[in-house]
Amino acid sequence: MKKPVIFEIGWNACINCAACIAVCPQDAGFVSDFDTIAVKEPCDIACMMCEDICPVNTISHVVVEDRKDD
Amino acid sequence: MKEVDVVIVGAGPAGCTTARKVAQAGFSVLIVDKRQELGAPIQCSGAVSRHALIENDVVPDVEFIHQPIYGFRIMNGLGDVTNIDYRELKPETYSEGPNGEPLGYIVDRRRFDRYLYTQAERAGAEGWLKAEALGYEKSGGEVLISIRQFNRLQQVRAKVIVGADGLRSQVGKWAGLQTHIKLTELASCLQVIVDGVETEGLLELITGSQTAPGGYGWVFPKGGGYAEVGLGIIAPYTAMTAQEHLDEFLKNSFLSHRFKHAKILEVQGGGVPLAAPLKQQFADNIILVGDAARHVNPITGGGIHTALSGGTVAAKFLNSHLRQNRNHAAETMERYHDEWLEAVGNQMWKLYKVKREIFKNGNVGQRDELLYDTMRNYFSPDSEFKKV
Repeated sequence: MKKPVIFEIGWNACINCAACIAVCPQDAGFVSDFDTIAVKEPCDIACMMCEDICPVNTISHVVVEDRKDD
Repeated sequence: MKEVDVVIVGAGPAGCTTARKVAQAGFSVLIVDKRQELGAPIQCSGAVSRHALIENDVVPDVEFIHQPIYGFRIMNGLGDVTNIDYRELKPETYSEGPNGEPLGYIVDRRRFDRYLYTQAERAGAEGWLKAEALGYEKSGGEVLISIRQFNRLQQVRAKVIVGADGLRSQVGKWAGLQTHIKLTELASCLQVIVDGVETEGLLELITGSQTAPGGYGWVFPKGGGYAEVGLGIIAPYTAMTAQEHLDEFLKNSFLSHRFKHAKILEVQGGGVPLAAPLKQQFADNIILVGDAARHVNPITGGGIHTALSGGTVAAKFLNSHLRQNRNHAAETMERYHDEWLEAVGNQMWKLYKVKREIFKNGNVGQRDELLYDTMRNYFSPDSEFKKV
């Protein structure tokens, strides 16, 4: 089973194309204030399709568990 | 509480066309969009055929036209080039002369979307910008939609919601429709607007996995001496990002010599579905239109024509639906989907099957060849798919 992750977006490179939302299998509302996938709440699906589709490779993630360990 | 017949979420070409035509029929329409500037950020090349505008009652206007288009050039990077220039094929119709007309246009999406929004408002629709639809609840056969405009949260009562909120559609998700798109069917696209690249009034399309695995590259004239150079890739077919492929295309491809003096003026991108239309585009009190319903040509990724046509079909359905005072249950709304299939959808499904056959082929060389042939056939004057 995949571990929940929190996505991080390099805003400087983000071109606001919304491809990450389009491919995201989460329910409605899993979006940020800047029209990307959510960055404040954990993603428990962790399919990483948003990272794969990003044309400018500006989405990354940290595993929630690891973040708690910090 | 505000009460209207129809709330349209999303003021792109599909939403605005629906709004204009429903308002023209005398029904009350509220069209909302969360953006402050319609058409932005630009996620599209802006190519649209002239007949797409005419058949959907949009007058080609200098307000939004960047550049007239007269045909196509299809290249595969292996030396094969097909010119389909309608100025030569049908000079009696298509020419740059005073009595001729172009085959299509590159439009400025900011101005085009604003123009369509203006036409909708002039027809009687009310428009709200900076207005995000957050969700809805059912209420006695109708719906209450929660909308936050700037910082003011309010509810609006409506009979029908039209989800025209694009590829990222939340309305479809609210309704529990199957809107998820596979990674293998969503092209990751990136384009740059450049100065210093010569073009000839043709849409140049470059197929082949060396340029754009799973998709294609393009060089489109943008008017005023500018051009759009871009590509769309299917992520699982390559280890590189669209940005890396575009960089390679600009610097090290068979067309690099044309980009030697290119100065990049804008960067734009988007996800473009090369997918089947949604199998269900309706629910209780809801219909979807445009990108939200995957009304996108699965071969070319073109979405303006299909959005305008989808809007026309949606409006025709809604006008008849509201006039007859029918209930808004899913079984009743299904008629919209049937009408859309008949008008354009069946053609799109046929195109999707063509596209699926190409990409079923595991041999990359054969797949490239099939895509090149399909593109050539698609844009030829004898194509059976001219409608979409």
